[in-house]
This record gives sequence, C-alpha cells and structure tokens, in this order.
Amino acid sequence: MRATFIVAAHQLRRVVRNPGLILLLLAIPLTLAVMEYGAFGRSAAEGKLPPVKVLFLDEDDTVVSGFLPQVFSGGPAKDFFELAQVPDKQEAARLFTRNQAAALIVVPRGFQDALLANRPAELVFYRNPIQSIGPDIVASMLQMTTLIGNGLYAKALEPIRQVKALLDAGRDPTSAEVAAISQGFFEAGRRLQGLDALTNLRIGVQRPGDTQARTGFGSDPAQFFAYVFPGLVVFALMFIAQALAIRLLRDRLKGLQRRIVMTPVSPLAVVLGGVTYLVVGLLVLLVFLGVIGGLVFRIPLRDPLSLLAIGLGFALFAAGLHLLSISLSKSDRSAGFVGSVVVLVLSLLGGTFVPAEQYPPFLQRVAAIVPNGAAQQGFIDVLVHKMPLVGLGPGLGVVWAWGIVTMALAVFVERRRLRA
Amino acid sequence: MIEVVNLYKKYGVNEALRGISFRVQPGEIYGLLGPNGAGKSTTIGILCGLVRPDAGQASLNGIDIARQPVEARRVLGVVPQDVALYSEFSARDNLAFFGRLYGLRGAALTGAIDRVLARVNLADRAKEPVEGFSGGMLRRLNIAAGVLHNPSVVLMDEPTVGLDPQTRASILDLVRAIAAGGAAIVYTTHYLDEAERLCDRLGIIDHGVILAEGTLQELREAAGAREIIALRGIFRADAVTLEIEKHTEWELIKATDSELLLTVQHAEQQLAALLALAATLGTVREVAIRQPSLENLFIKLTGRELRE
Repeated sequence: MRATFIVAAHQLRRVVRNPGLILLLLAIPLTLAVMEYGAFGRSAAEGKLPPVKVLFLDEDDTVVSGFLPQVFSGGPAKDFFELAQVPDKQEAARLFTRNQAAALIVVPRGFQDALLANRPAELVFYRNPIQSIGPDIVASMLQMTTLIGNGLYAKALEPIRQVKALLDAGRDPTSAEVAAISQGFFEAGRRLQGLDALTNLRIGVQRPGDTQARTGFGSDPAQFFAYVFPGLVVFALMFIAQALAIRLLRDRLKGLQRRIVMTPVSPLAVVLGGVTYLVVGLLVLLVFLGVIGGLVFRIPLRDPLSLLAIGLGFALFAAGLHLLSISLSKSDRSAGFVGSVVVLVLSLLGGTFVPAEQYPPFLQRVAAIVPNGAAQQGFIDVLVHKMPLVGLGPGLGVVWAWGIVTMALAVFVERRRLRA
Repeated sequence: MIEVVNLYKKYGVNEALRGISFRVQPGEIYGLLGPNGAGKSTTIGILCGLVRPDAGQASLNGIDIARQPVEARRVLGVVPQDVALYSEFSARDNLAFFGRLYGLRGAALTGAIDRVLARVNLADRAKEPVEGFSGGMLRRLNIAAGVLHNPSVVLMDEPTVGLDPQTRASILDLVRAIAAGGAAIVYTTHYLDEAERLCDRLGIIDHGVILAEGTLQELREAAGAREIIALRGIFRADAVTLEIEKHTEWELIKATDSELLLTVQHAEQQLAALLALAATLGTVREVAIRQPSLENLFIKLTGRELRE
C-alpha cells in the first residue's frame, strides 16, 4: 500500500513539474466551448435555431410581388428566416460565394400579369451550392406556400377575373364593382378558413429527461454552457488520460519501470501506483475544469456528490482504457495512434460534437451505453435538469460498469506483463 | 551470498537456460561473461525475481527468490545496463524516490543519500537536474541508486558501457569498494580486460550453459599454453575443415568463408605449414597470433568473440 502511494505521488509530482502538455489539453474544452457559443450560443440560448438567410429579387415590382416576401418575414416563419432584398443576380451570386445566403427567390417580370390572366406564373428558385440544409428548408417553405397559394387562387378566380377586366378597361371601378370584388375575396377567404390554424403554430424543443416541453437550452449563456461543456470536458479527459498514460509507457521504454519492480515492491503495487496516479490526476483536472466552468462560463455547479460519482466512474474508465492501451503497445507512437482512434470513435458515438438527440434512434441507444456518452448525459442531467443522485441510476451504472470492467482488465494485463 | 542451483528456463522452443549453477560469496565479485543470447539476461531476471525458472533454485542470503521475491529483493541492489533515472529530477530526488521504495525514510533516508552521493563523487551536484549530467556522472548515479540501501547482494549489468577509460577506471574502483563492504556482486560485461582486472571469479556462459568457471588463473590454465592463430581472407570453409582436422596438432575453433581460428602450440613454428596449407584452399590476406588470455579461452569455448 505504501509503495502504491510512493509511486503515485512520484508520478503526480512529475506532472506538476512538467505540466506543459496537460495544460495544452486542458485548453481544448475551454476553447471549443467558447467557439460553440460563438457559433450557436446566442440563438440557441433563446430557444431558436440560427435563421436561414433568403435573398429576394423582385423583377416584377408589382402589388402581388410586393406581398411575396411576407411569406418568409411574417407569421411563424419570421423566426426561422432572415430575408434580404437584392438588386440583381450578380449581388446574389456574390453573397452565395461568401456563403452569406442559402437561396435566392426571383419574381420574374410579368408575374402579376400572368396571375391575373389566369396563365401559369412561375417563381424562380436558386440554391446556394455551398450549403445543403438551408436551401432545402427554403425550398420546403416555398413548396408549402405555392400549395396554399394555388388553393387560394383557385377559390378566388372570379374576383381576380373582375380585377383583370377593370385593369384592361383602364377606368376606375364603381362602388358596386368594389363591393363585388371584395365580396368575392371574402368568400374565397371563408372557404380557406381552416388555414387560420397556421397562425397558431408554436415551435417547442424537447430534451431527454424533461417531463415538459421547454424551449431550447435556456434563456442565458450559463445554461448553454451547462449543456455543452460536460461533453467537451469528457472528451478532454480522455485525451488527458492518454497523455498521462503515455508518460508511464515512456518510463517503461527507458527501463524505469523495470528498475522499480526490481525493488522490494510487488508488481501489483506498482500497477496500482500507476492506476492511482491516473485516477487522482484525472479527478484533480476534472475538478479544475469544473471550477473553470463555474467561474468563466457561470455554470451552476450543483450537487457535487453526484458530479463526483460520475467523474470517478469515468476517470476509472479513461485511466483503464489507456493503461490497457500502453500495456499492449510497444511504442508511444502506436499507443498514441490506437488511443486517439478509440477516443475519437467514442466521442462521435457518445455525442461530444453533435448532440445525441439529433442521432437516429439506434445511435441514440448506442450513445446512452458508451461510457463517455453516459457520463456526458449524467453531467447534463445534474447541471441542467437538476436530477438528484438517485435519479441518475442507469446512466451512472453504465459509467461505473465500464470503469470497473476496463480497469480490472487493464490491471490484469499490466500485472501479467510485469511478471512475465 | 548468491546461490544458483541447476536453473532451467524455456521460452517456447528456445532453451534459454540449461542447468546453470554458481555461487557467489560475500565480498566476492563474480564475472558472468557470454555473448548476446547466451542466457545472462535470463539469469539476471531470475535473480531479480522478475523471471520464474522452469526448474532449479536461486536464493539470495538463503531467501528463495521464486517463493519470496519481495523479501529477496530487500537484500538485493540492481544496477541496470541502461541509465534508468528521472531526467527532470535532481540526483537527490532520484535517490530519495528509490530509497523510499527500499523502505528508507526520514533521517535514515537522508543519511543514506548523503553517504552514497559522497561515495560516487556527486555530493556537490546533488541538487542539479540529472538531465545536465555527463555520461560518466549518470553511470555513477545509476550505481548509487542501486546500492543506496546498502544491499548484501548486487547485480551489475554492464555498468561501464560506452564510457571513457578514465571513467571506467573510477567505476571499477567503486565496484571494488562495494565488494570490500561485504556485498556479493555478479558483474556482467563485454570488456574482457575489465573482467580480468576486476573479477575474483568468472563464469563463461553460452547457449544456456556455463562452459567454464573459476578464478582467472584457473581459466588461464584451462586455456593452456596454446596460442590462437587467426587467418582472414577467402576460404572454402568445408574444405579447410576437412584438411585441418587431419593435423592433430592444430585445433580448429572456427571456420567460415572469411575467417579461420585455430589453437596451436608454438605458433611461430607452425605458421609456415599452416599458411602453405591455407594457400592451397583459398587466399590469405591477414594473419594474427594471439597470446593465451581470457579472450582466447572465451573464443575457444564459445567459438565466438564476446561482441558478436
């Protein structure tokens, strides 16, 4: 037991004396969190997706074409689209090249005339080839609008014909004609009354663990970070564990580990010294990152016991994973490569870069059972959803099961290697 | 005291040790000599308790290493071939770490560090990071870390590799001083002259067997008064072997397409006849006659030079 502490304390002292790489790795979650907030934070915090920018070119310049932009700038659509008028297609092309717009809608000359004459009238739609999702959203909106517009047009054929006749005659309408045209549009509107429901549309975002629908991550940046930061911390801890473990591998390659096992210390004590060094090191850095999260990003650090329970389980897993990796590796390059691939695959599966709830159902289940995904969700459940320790049940179980199994396997393999 | 009795060790089909036995008394320096792959490292590994023998027994001061490895290592000091020190730490911090692993603490640890630093002439550099040390200083500190706890048994695995003659000499003095303190020392080296100067007894090991053992005088007598003639050039090894074996006064040690090694008595008298025969079987480009020495005996016993 004493030897275990001596080895662990010695290794930790070395990290304190040479903290360079560890400090660099600690900067990863902080930098990524700031970048994510810069990219999505403000709109996400308000419960909205970033708006899709739509360009509008009105070549017709008529009463009807003047109404069309309202499709994107009025009603429920106004939160999802940002509309900008452009003077010509060259300006639109310039904005496309700079990736500053998703699509261009052109109302061609003669659009209103075609409508009034009951001829096919076309809107021209251009996609920005650089983007994929934004143009699709605009196209869907446009298709829906066309469908509704065609329905309205079919119901209002008679008043439209009357307007056309008046325009062709080139005279002012009489009071009776105005009344007839108004009545015609009124009747058409009544026939489409069911569409009133559209104005009552509300968008809600459901998060796992919520009992009621909420909008977005919350109304302030702190809640955004409480949602995003845990995943980045878990990601960074896995890389930090790798860096700490590779120090042990380098000791082995330099004959230092062999020298230690030649002293009156059992191989198990030496292995446990390495385990203690890794786990304690990771926990200290986790606490450090937590404090930074609290001070810099104003994340409310509630329920430290629950956070520690998740953190310890995950530290066991991360330490065990990389201890196993260095036990089976013959050089620090191979250990670095294998460890990095495993960390990146786990991060993709666990929802570090893309929230797991955006995944298809199968991958959502995978994210819940990989250790980093379960730990990330556990931290979010405590920090954002204010879940108590008992409520963390299955997720905490997943983290600890991975931690115990991985660490036990790593200790077994490493001890066997030392005794070979 | 070190006692090794009939050790066997196999790695798969490779027999690393085939019945090794030797004994080293307190205060004695025992040189273990052998080419690479002879079985030295396996023997050292067993003495450290890191390798479990398939058969046989090894004990340090009467403690069976296989049964009580941790207890046996308490009386053991090891000086590994590679310098195994933490470069970012000072000499004192390195020694403190290894001292703690040997159970030293407090005043006992401080006293042991001071004594051993003085012994290896590094007391004035004690607080400097060892990454700035010269090769000789690192080797001395490497030895200090192995004998810090005043062990009664010391294993030294080529502690002078790569050092200049002056530094080697100072380290040999250090090893003699450790033995004079009563420690039983097993010393492996590739420098035969070093083994001749330092070791009280020698064991020559190859293919997992001790081929010869004794004091330097005993081994010289075993080598006899025969000298070694080395011929280098271009030969047909099989034809040379057949011809030389017809001459009972010549003993062929080694025959390759580029080198012939033979032991003979009165080399100068035999040389003309030997060269005449060699000329009929190939082309001789270089001739050397070596006097009886440990190196001769080594070549005679193993058919190889130690550095092969």
